[in-house]
Amino acid sequence: MGNLLEHMGIERDRVHFSWISSAEATKFVDVVKEISEKVRALGPNKKLVKDYN
Amino acid sequence: MDTYINKIRELSLKLLKKKEVVKVIGFTKGTLPMATSPIAISLEQDVEKLIFNSTCGLNLANYIRNHKGKIAVIAKGCDSRNIITHIVENQIPREQLHIIGVPCKGMIDKTKVASLFDDDIIEFSEDNDTLLLKSSSKEERLNKQDYLRENCKLCMHKNPVIYDDLVGDLVDEQTLDTPYPDVEQIENMDADTKWQHFDKLTKNCIRCYACRNACPICYCPTCFVDESGPQWVGKGQDKTDVNTFHFLRAFHCAGRCTDCGACVEACPMDINVRDFTRKLNKDSFELFEWEAGLDLTKRPPLDAYSPNDPNDFIK
Amino acid sequence: MKFITIDKKDWAKGIEKSRKTYQLFGPVKDKNGFFIKSLGKDMLPDMDYHDSVMSVKSVLFPQTENILTTTLDEAQEDHHIMKRAVTDYSPRAVLGIRPYDAKAIELVKLNFDTDDYKDPYWCDAYEATTFVGLGLNKPGPFDFSSSTGSGPFNEEGLDVLLADLDDKYLAKVLTDKGEAFIKACGFDLIADDKESQALFDILRKEAEKNIVSKISTDKLKEKTILEIHEAPFWDDIAFSCINCGTCTFVCPTCWCFDIQDETKRKASTRIRNWDTCMSPLFTKHATGHNPRDTKTQRVRQRFMHKLKYFFDKYDQGIMCVGCGRCVKSCPVNIDIREVCNMMNSYEKQE
Repeated sequence: MGNLLEHMGIERDRVHFSWISSAEATKFVDVVKEISEKVRALGPNKKLVKDYN
Repeated sequence: MDTYINKIRELSLKLLKKKEVVKVIGFTKGTLPMATSPIAISLEQDVEKLIFNSTCGLNLANYIRNHKGKIAVIAKGCDSRNIITHIVENQIPREQLHIIGVPCKGMIDKTKVASLFDDDIIEFSEDNDTLLLKSSSKEERLNKQDYLRENCKLCMHKNPVIYDDLVGDLVDEQTLDTPYPDVEQIENMDADTKWQHFDKLTKNCIRCYACRNACPICYCPTCFVDESGPQWVGKGQDKTDVNTFHFLRAFHCAGRCTDCGACVEACPMDINVRDFTRKLNKDSFELFEWEAGLDLTKRPPLDAYSPNDPNDFIK
Repeated sequence: MKFITIDKKDWAKGIEKSRKTYQLFGPVKDKNGFFIKSLGKDMLPDMDYHDSVMSVKSVLFPQTENILTTTLDEAQEDHHIMKRAVTDYSPRAVLGIRPYDAKAIELVKLNFDTDDYKDPYWCDAYEATTFVGLGLNKPGPFDFSSSTGSGPFNEEGLDVLLADLDDKYLAKVLTDKGEAFIKACGFDLIADDKESQALFDILRKEAEKNIVSKISTDKLKEKTILEIHEAPFWDDIAFSCINCGTCTFVCPTCWCFDIQDETKRKASTRIRNWDTCMSPLFTKHATGHNPRDTKTQRVRQRFMHKLKYFFDKYDQGIMCVGCGRCVKSCPVNIDIREVCNMMNSYEKQE
């Protein structure tokens, strides 16, 4: 799915897949931090976003 | 092609006569030049209606569900692969099918042919590798190889994979060093160019869903775009909704698509929706060494778990 | 009746001039054929086109149209009160449409503009639009418009009918709207009435000679609905159908629509989209029951509506203008000409 999204032009770093157990709080925080940084670097997504006006 | 037609009729007649099948699903001549239409024949005298030529671009595996009794079906390479997919996915038992295999010499790109004319084509015939076309203003003799559909040009499974009868000698299969040149071309674009490519691709989409409905693997009782409680996708002409449909339809076909080209064949707007599905075919091939519909004993890769599945995308 | 001669050298200038008053629509070439599109700045209608992939119906009845809007913000006084969406109904002119498409608009009008109900969106758009037709000198091999009450030079539904005479157009001004448009273009070279009409008659006859495709509708009226409904051929016709909506979407007379509400945060819009009787969802009830659950039922419905119910209800002929679009676009080549003839000639076997 990530590959197809990337193929359509949605940057790879916007889609993340992770397997985190409920006991892995630190991993969760780390992953979320990493995702946030990557997405922030890309800026707001304008693709596949519906404009209602 | 004439020997194919004669053989198809002969085999169909035999099957109907001996009551081995209740009907034969094949193609019949259409009312327009370059048009053929799927048909079910159950009477012996109707076998003359069956034909086969380079315009039989739809996939007959789409017509084999929900029949009573044993049926025969005419199958090109791609049709046979989708028949396998149907059997693997429990849509029809193998015993209910008599497969009349057709070693395929490729189907023609009707749009490409029609684009040579400013007016409507009024006559079409073919003689081996020569296509003869006529409109009220001109005539063209074309080399079929120059007008093959894109998927047929790249086809590596022209011969039926399973069959009970064959209507001709098996044809030579090609091997390609780069089986997915079109996908690679898109992969080499930057993100914005990719986006623009797909935006432009689906620009004229009218959401008639002909691509989905012509597709043999799109047999869900209710497609996600038709689901109304809850509704997943907007139903209007908003670009995001249109592309969401195409994107998700393609994803639902992952590892199941045989690149038969029925979707493109059916599209009234000539949208090459294969640009979506082919990416997943390439990924299935590279990640799982998988091509759909070649083996009755294996389930599609996204349908089954294996400890060897690539999982480096999970962090 | 007034006839105007337009030298093709003056055509572009006149069209440019009309933009002061009109938004223009006309045939434009796209990847897979011609479409009737809004003509942006510097775009001219391509009058050499033969036919368009989609009909002209979307100018009055877009595939997706915002009809009502409201706010869900309870701080606003008018929250949750649906108001008509803002749509530009300033004068528009559609250039170069084929006479069968104009006839189709008149058929659609029977549904959207009645004594009891008037569809405000369609009616306002209709009111705003001037239809400038272009006679079809050489109808294509799949045009059967002369046997549907239309034809290559049919005037019904048009405000102006143009005839293409190689270096010039001869315009037949049919209504006040048409006159206003011709005036706005600055076309004022009046042609002789009698001579011009004679020329139109010749062109029409020549064009009609080119029409090789015909259907018979003479016996449809006398048959009962049940007789045709129960005819044995429906399963065979429907077998190949994949139930896509192509035929209904390319059809100039298919008018069915679906209403949807779309809401984002506090803004809500009611939208209407083209719908298609080919889709099971078209008739699916909220209970889950679907009275038209099978493919055969849906295929039969489309043809019965076009060729029988409409005929019986309005007595204005069949709901088909013979453009041939559905015949050409259908992925499996289901041909309304054949179906119509089957229905027309069907005799119940006792």
